[in-house]
Amino acid sequence: MDSSTRQYGDLATQLVQESRRSTATDTLLKYNDVLVRSIIREQRQLESLIQETLSSQEGIDPASDPRTSTVMLYQTTILRNKRCLLAYHHHRKERLKDLYWSVGGALPLLLSTYASAPANNANMGSEANASSGDIRSKLSPHEVDFLRAYNDSLINFRSGVLTTEEVDLFAPITKPPKDLHVLVRVVRDCGVIQTEVGAIDFRRGQRFMVRRADVEHLIVQGYLEEV
Amino acid sequence: MSFDWDAEEDDFFAGPSVRSRQAVDEDFPIPDDFADPVPGFGDPIGLIPQDTAEETNFQQLIRHWMNERHSPDILPGQEVLLGNLLDHIRKQTDDVQLLRADPGSSEDEHFRIMLVHTEIERVKFVIRSYIRTRLHKIEKYARHINSDPNMYERLSKAEFEHAKRYARLEETHYTSSVLQSLPIDQQGLDDNIAFMPPMIPAPSKTRAVFVHARQDCPRVKLLDGSMMEMKKDQISLVPYNVIEHLLARGEVELV
Repeated sequence: MDSSTRQYGDLATQLVQESRRSTATDTLLKYNDVLVRSIIREQRQLESLIQETLSSQEGIDPASDPRTSTVMLYQTTILRNKRCLLAYHHHRKERLKDLYWSVGGALPLLLSTYASAPANNANMGSEANASSGDIRSKLSPHEVDFLRAYNDSLINFRSGVLTTEEVDLFAPITKPPKDLHVLVRVVRDCGVIQTEVGAIDFRRGQRFMVRRADVEHLIVQGYLEEV
Repeated sequence: MSFDWDAEEDDFFAGPSVRSRQAVDEDFPIPDDFADPVPGFGDPIGLIPQDTAEETNFQQLIRHWMNERHSPDILPGQEVLLGNLLDHIRKQTDDVQLLRADPGSSEDEHFRIMLVHTEIERVKFVIRSYIRTRLHKIEKYARHINSDPNMYERLSKAEFEHAKRYARLEETHYTSSVLQSLPIDQQGLDDNIAFMPPMIPAPSKTRAVFVHARQDCPRVKLLDGSMMEMKKDQISLVPYNVIEHLLARGEVELV
């Protein structure tokens, strides 16, 4: 955008619109590093403008000085930009948390960039997988740190609140279970898994009738699909 | 095999509905049969003292779960109740395993075992949902919890620890992503500016909630100064802070 026609705060509006677009289309957009940086530059510039204006303002009654309103304008812009920046980051953080829970807290899966996955992904159809394709490249380094620390905190929390392994905190909470068993189709090889009827080697394309609790996490992570 | 099946099988399905209406929530399509308690589940073996007989542990959990899901604020945690239920689940799971391994059990018994097992899974689901609901609110208001000592006592130790960690995490994230690059004067995370919403979100206690009177309630004062009295089983739509104390005493429940 031509800077001569740009108003203060325009960039921040763009940033917030990006958050809105992300919600509207239910996708995680790539972290907009360029825009964030230019808003931060604008903030610094505004701050120095204020300092400049204030330093030249001496011995005049602030109420009648026209420069007071100038400072007010700068100050309002600064506050607005700051809130927009934080709102953008907050919005992304909430989205990431949603993603994290949607794969049942499997952070490595979320962060792994399966390069060979696109072909597989296309016919998987599972929501978690469609959205987790190459998430890593859309994150800022700080967001990766955040997810890691969040994961650690939750694991800590889990061991504190449930002294038993009976209840899996990360299992889905959208549908109450109606059956003990579930018929699943394997969409991705996931190796040998221990179940109540012994070890099963899940290979792509096979179908099994298994106890839901044994494979719940595999369904959530998109290895298996309910038939 | 001494298992107390016959005592509870008679009223296995005969339980009255917990509520006379359906709890329908977009996120939680609760099937019709889910609100029906299995009376035997609460206490088939007499672990729980008789004075709670009118409301089983599981019914209590359902009530607290719904309250928690509908309340804008974080309610006091039900640690004892959860502990009892978890103990019970563990015991029932062991019994189920034992009975299943017993070759002498008949076809009919196997069917009953399956029912109990399914019910266990469903109770676990509610427990999980209850914990996750609290977790969601705790994270949402983590920074508020940290600044308000009144909130401490409503949380369990693990929840409080998580709230502290999460609040710190959030602040670190904002600082490293944005604030540290800004000029010094702009780095605050708790600015209090006129005409702008506060930077630390707090639960909105004036949000409207549907409330169901479990018994005749004392009169409450509405925001416009008029009084309202609720008879047993009456359902009203009121601001949360009007019935907050009734909810804490268990005289009403949120629906």
